Amino acid sequence: MAGLTFSGVRKTYPNGVRAVHGIDASVGDGELIVIVGPSGCGKSTLLRMVAGLEAISEGEIRIGERRVNELEPADRNIAMVFQNYALYPHMSVFDNMAYGLRNRRTPRNEIARRVAAAAKTLQLEDLLARRPGQLSGGQRQRVAMGRAIVREPDVFLFDEPLSNLDARLRVQMRLEIRRLQQSLGTTSLYVTHDQVEAMTLADRLIVMNGGVAEQIGRPLDVYRHPATAFVAGFIGSPAMNFLPATVAATGSGVIISGTGHTLTAAVTACEPQRPVLVGLRPEHLLPASEDSAALKVAVDLVEALGADTLAHGILPGDGAGPALTVRLEGSRRVDVGDTVPLTVSPDHVHLFDPGNGNRLV
Amino acid sequence: MEKRVVFSGRWVPVLLLAPQVTITLVFFIWPASQALYQSVLLEDAFGLSRKFVWLDNFRILFADPLYLDSFGRTAFFSSVTAALSLGLALVLAVMADRVIKGTALYRTFLIWPYAVAPAVAGVLWFFMFNPSIGTLTYLLRFLGYQWNHYLNGTDAMALIILAASWKQVSYNFLFFLAGLQAIPRSLVEAAAIDGAGPFKRFRTIIFPLLSPTTFFLLVVNIVYAFFDTFGIVHAITSGGPAQATTILVYKVYSDGFIGLDLGGSAAQSVILMAVVIALTVFQFRYIERKVAY
Ligand SMILES: Nc1ncnc2c1ncn2[C@@H]1O[C@H](COP(=O)(O)OP(=O)(O)OP(=O)(O)O)[C@@H](O)[C@H]1O
Ligand SMILES: [Mg+2]
Repeated sequence: MAGLTFSGVRKTYPNGVRAVHGIDASVGDGELIVIVGPSGCGKSTLLRMVAGLEAISEGEIRIGERRVNELEPADRNIAMVFQNYALYPHMSVFDNMAYGLRNRRTPRNEIARRVAAAAKTLQLEDLLARRPGQLSGGQRQRVAMGRAIVREPDVFLFDEPLSNLDARLRVQMRLEIRRLQQSLGTTSLYVTHDQVEAMTLADRLIVMNGGVAEQIGRPLDVYRHPATAFVAGFIGSPAMNFLPATVAATGSGVIISGTGHTLTAAVTACEPQRPVLVGLRPEHLLPASEDSAALKVAVDLVEALGADTLAHGILPGDGAGPALTVRLEGSRRVDVGDTVPLTVSPDHVHLFDPGNGNRLV
Repeated sequence: MEKRVVFSGRWVPVLLLAPQVTITLVFFIWPASQALYQSVLLEDAFGLSRKFVWLDNFRILFADPLYLDSFGRTAFFSSVTAALSLGLALVLAVMADRVIKGTALYRTFLIWPYAVAPAVAGVLWFFMFNPSIGTLTYLLRFLGYQWNHYLNGTDAMALIILAASWKQVSYNFLFFLAGLQAIPRSLVEAAAIDGAGPFKRFRTIIFPLLSPTTFFLLVVNIVYAFFDTFGIVHAITSGGPAQATTILVYKVYSDGFIGLDLGGSAAQSVILMAVVIALTVFQFRYIERKVAY
């Protein structure tokens, strides 16, 4: 068992694409870190550098105390679960799981014991003689997991392992992976672009954008105190609303541009008249009475999801005001054309710099 | 879903099929039936008289030590040619699969030999290894080897094997390369993480996944060596010295057109036909089932 350290890790592909620009992070022993970010932000690249499938252009990666930059994938004692599972199609499930152990000259009875144990944990016992082609997607996923765990590696690497499964199975496998990882206590890096998966699985998140880590932290901390407007918009579903605004001259709140709405917020750190970007999560906008309302949204689209109802609308003002999404209780009836008065607690008003997107405290 | 075009009239489909059917009839069915017919006849060299002799031609063939020798020689020639051209093509394809820069150029050069007609390929090798003026013979002499495929049967056999496999390498290369590129990269990566070095990866992952391609090519190459190498043998050795390179397909020609034993030659081509049909049936029956993983 070992932790994992990135220091100043960069990747430039031979064709000049700069995929990762300097990642510094450390993963504790037994921790599950989820790397999340939009497509093309360099998540897979980072993971593949840990695996040894891509050379590290600059910086250093350590597994435990060992610097692994120069080591072959085989010598890093890691196991990886691929998005397409990468099972060997010409081998049985048993042989797929035993392959890595055989290559390491593990004694035969030890191989049998470990594969049997993994098969039991993953409910693959009846499938050991089958070929991958004769398995369902979920079963293949399990075999891929089994192949990783029999090796008893220092680090598990997962590259979007659930993205080929249907929604139900994805939720189920997500729980299984979490349970398995906790019981084995193996340090894990898990790449996904699904923020729900990221929130539920992670001990800590690394939110990546354009090759840099925008924020590293525990899921709820990231949700509550997003470091940048990008993180704020990426984590949380439905996504945060962003409204351009200026800090009120009185220093007690912000004025939403073009609408005259004023929100109370903690703006002590900002000089008056300063332009800001206000972030409001749909779930933090609460219905209020007409006279206590801070915002009034004119609803133009309603999505009733059962438990919740999402109301999309605009803040009326001069011209077409900014768009706003509100999450309301499912029992509450809203119709297109309604105007819903809303309030929001000052704690839930996030302020960002409109230029670089950084959080303003 | 089945896609099927329905023609309203009867003439359009007939017209569309006609060229293919005509070609098959004129160039395959008719000569093949002629061969079948001739193989049971005894005919004099000038075609003035013929006699129906049942299977005598075949009986004579299988009693003829020269013919049986030629059978063995052909088996040797085909298997060595197939092995050589497959092995070489596989090595080249594995290397080409790794090349990143200049791939197109590299591949183009490797594909060229396939466009060379067998006789031309034969002439090419004939000159390179010509005992008196050949460049390679000259080099071999420096190495202390007196090359002479006019006198030495082993040299002659080696030369036609070389020429025949050289011509087939391109074809095999293309198929192997396509086969290699169809193997998902992540499989090889998974094997690398699983602790398999390059050779082990090749032996345990890549080669088994290529086996359908390899099997297909093996049959194609044996058929090629059996039937398509006439031009090479004719241009380089004309079957000599002392019949050392008279493989079956060449013997059909030399017995029929030089020896003027038309019945015997026809019987030989019937046997060759049977061999190719058997190989093809074997290929079709097994390629889908046995080798598929
Ligand atoms: N082998 C390669 N050669 C050159 N550029 C590459 C290579 N692989 C990836 N890239 C580029 O590097 C950047 C990051 O790619 P990467 O695969 O790490 O993204 P990702 O975050 O995993 O995206 P996704 O969620 O779509 O899988 C992209 O711009 C991509 O085009
Ligand atoms: Mg990726």
